[in-house]
Amino acid sequence: MSTKPSIASSAFSRRGFLGFAAAAASVPLLAACGGGSASQGGGGSAGGTIKFWDMPWATPAYNETAKKIAEGFSGANSKASYQLIQWNNFYQTFSSAIASKTGPAVSTGGGFQAFQFEQQGQIAYADKVIEALKKNGQFDDFLPGVVEPFKTAKGYVAVPWQLDIRPLWYRKSLFEKAGVDVPKDWATLLEAGKKLKSVGAVGFATGSGAGNNIGNHLMIMMMLNNGGGVFSKDGQLDVMNDRNVEAIEFMLELVSNGIIDPAAVSYTTDNLNAQWKDGKAAYGMLTLGVPARVGDTSGDIVVASPIAGPHGDKAALIFPNNIMMYTNTPSQEASEAFLVYYMGQLKELWKQKLMNALPVFKSITEMPEFTSDPNNVKIVKEYVPIAKTFASQGTALSADLAALDGGQALNQFTQTVLTGKTDAKSALQAFESGLKSILKK
Amino acid sequence: MSSTTAPSGLARARRGLAPGGSGGGSPQPGQNRKSKLSAQTSRTFFWLLLPSVVLLVLIHGYPLFQAGVQATHNGNLIQTGDFVGIENFQSVLASPAFWKAAQFTLLFTIVGVFGSWAVGLGLALLLRTKIPAGGTFKVLLLLPWVVPIVVSSTAWNWLVATPDSLVPSLYRNLGLGTPLFLADPTLAAVTVMIFKVWVSFPFMMMMISAALASVDSTVYEAASMDGATRFQQFSQITLPLIARSTYISWILMTIFCVNDFPTIYLLTGGGPVDATTSLVVLAYRTVFQDFTTGPGVAIAFLMTMTLVVISVLLYRQIRKSSVE
Repeated sequence: MSTKPSIASSAFSRRGFLGFAAAAASVPLLAACGGGSASQGGGGSAGGTIKFWDMPWATPAYNETAKKIAEGFSGANSKASYQLIQWNNFYQTFSSAIASKTGPAVSTGGGFQAFQFEQQGQIAYADKVIEALKKNGQFDDFLPGVVEPFKTAKGYVAVPWQLDIRPLWYRKSLFEKAGVDVPKDWATLLEAGKKLKSVGAVGFATGSGAGNNIGNHLMIMMMLNNGGGVFSKDGQLDVMNDRNVEAIEFMLELVSNGIIDPAAVSYTTDNLNAQWKDGKAAYGMLTLGVPARVGDTSGDIVVASPIAGPHGDKAALIFPNNIMMYTNTPSQEASEAFLVYYMGQLKELWKQKLMNALPVFKSITEMPEFTSDPNNVKIVKEYVPIAKTFASQGTALSADLAALDGGQALNQFTQTVLTGKTDAKSALQAFESGLKSILKK
Repeated sequence: MSSTTAPSGLARARRGLAPGGSGGGSPQPGQNRKSKLSAQTSRTFFWLLLPSVVLLVLIHGYPLFQAGVQATHNGNLIQTGDFVGIENFQSVLASPAFWKAAQFTLLFTIVGVFGSWAVGLGLALLLRTKIPAGGTFKVLLLLPWVVPIVVSSTAWNWLVATPDSLVPSLYRNLGLGTPLFLADPTLAAVTVMIFKVWVSFPFMMMMISAALASVDSTVYEAASMDGATRFQQFSQITLPLIARSTYISWILMTIFCVNDFPTIYLLTGGGPVDATTSLVVLAYRTVFQDFTTGPGVAIAFLMTMTLVVISVLLYRQIRKSSVE
């Protein structure tokens, strides 16, 4: 899933592998275990322990602090427990637990997870939480546009708590070596890329190998950057629009000129990080905190300004990660009280510099612990205002986006483009066809 | 008359006959007791086996049954959904992705089974000869099998993934260009298969070594005295004598290859452009990435059926070789 931090995907532990292997070896078993009717339990007002499940969003220090925060809750005659859930097979983990009614009452998770489980009647709407946040003043503190995507016809499926954005980064010394300016638009990106290649650097670093979704995000970002997108304004599939075709033609031009590494199609997250660390990657799209992530504290890697497409459009890709509540809870009132409490404690995570993501609250973006990093400030100032989600050109998030995000269709499309053995229209047609076959089911 | 036609009760008891009739149709001495013993034994066996049978049914039968339910419904991991009959199977069988994955799985399995067998056989024969530091050599040969696959796949990634990796660099220094082992679809498929052979040959080597250890060396001495060449000894003695072990190892390795998820997924993720997507990887992606449970489980079902057929065929070969 795109919503997991890359630090999590890059650190491929043995335990993680075991999870992967077990899942693959037991596809029928796992699927079988999911059978049964939907859980609709709980919802009463009696107290109890609220099970909060959280993901490894950053280093282990993040989870330790999040655990302390969660276990510090006491309200509505309840307390809370904290459970760390690994990203590998997380959807299966949640599904199996929900099916057996042993799932959480409240959780973080995949960016579109709330919409997926809402379809299955497992999500408790967060309207009362939103009301409470309005009363305590936190609602007005939200950055513009971060709450609305979670509003559906039936209510708020979740509450946003952090923003996973994809800014462009560059290595200053390589641009100096090549004697070129940092790109301002597609044309200068092409020219800079050619010169960077001549000094042995990679002009537009990316990757779409095992477990690496940066390439997938880059494809969508470039479509958005040209005023395109996978969906129309009313949420219908709109893959073959002219702006998308133009964007993919440009990507193919970068590939054919060797500005994108010809081996990028197979690069894992580790391979991509190594390119940045080894001073090979000059420019590219990644997550927040790249210097810390690749272990380069020289200050040579910095955030670049957003580039403009040929029609003057600018856009960045963003994933509004969220906290959701489930219908299976010992007390809906306690779930809501916990969520309100947890939202009020978020600043502690940024205060301790534990997050590789943007906060959703303006007040946190103004904290000295956050503004001390000029890259953060630049991202908030230049990228957040132009940020768009996977739903673009529409704005409404939905369960369909999960299939787009982590599904085979986008990955195959990305790999097809990165190998360069296609034309834009053929690649997009295959992408559209793949998406249709998934979304109709 | 009775004394001549029928033994007394005592005599009958001594001979193990039941009291009563003596005429036609009555059991022969010993037969009745044997059948009673069998019935008792059967009942005992039944009660002893019952817990295991129940467990097996629960552990294997129930999930299989539920998987069958999922494969014939259009639901998800939480809700079963509507019954769609064989629609999922039809959609899977009509999908080019399925046949592409099936083709790769077949090739991957053939190369995996016979490649690892050939390498394993060669090394097992080599290990029968006296070589310097033979013990260390044996341990080193076992490493690919012993090392966790996540470690070995990472190591292989370092060796081949980027143009600056060791193996592409060697090619470049030899003037052979810079092959993109994991980025080129054909090369990626070849690399994954070689990786599989590398990971699997120690298992084959151990199986064959065990079989070779049971072969009496005097057989070879006799053959040698009869003028048989080394090749004749290999083809006429060694291969037939290890045939049973070979068939068993082929069955196991076929199952290992068809079901092998980590070797492929960790090295290539099934790419580039699905060039290394096997059926098990496709099933995983279909269920857990595309969230289409029914078709994903249908793929798993088709894989299982294929494996059962292959295993039965190879098992028949084992029985045949045992008879011979």
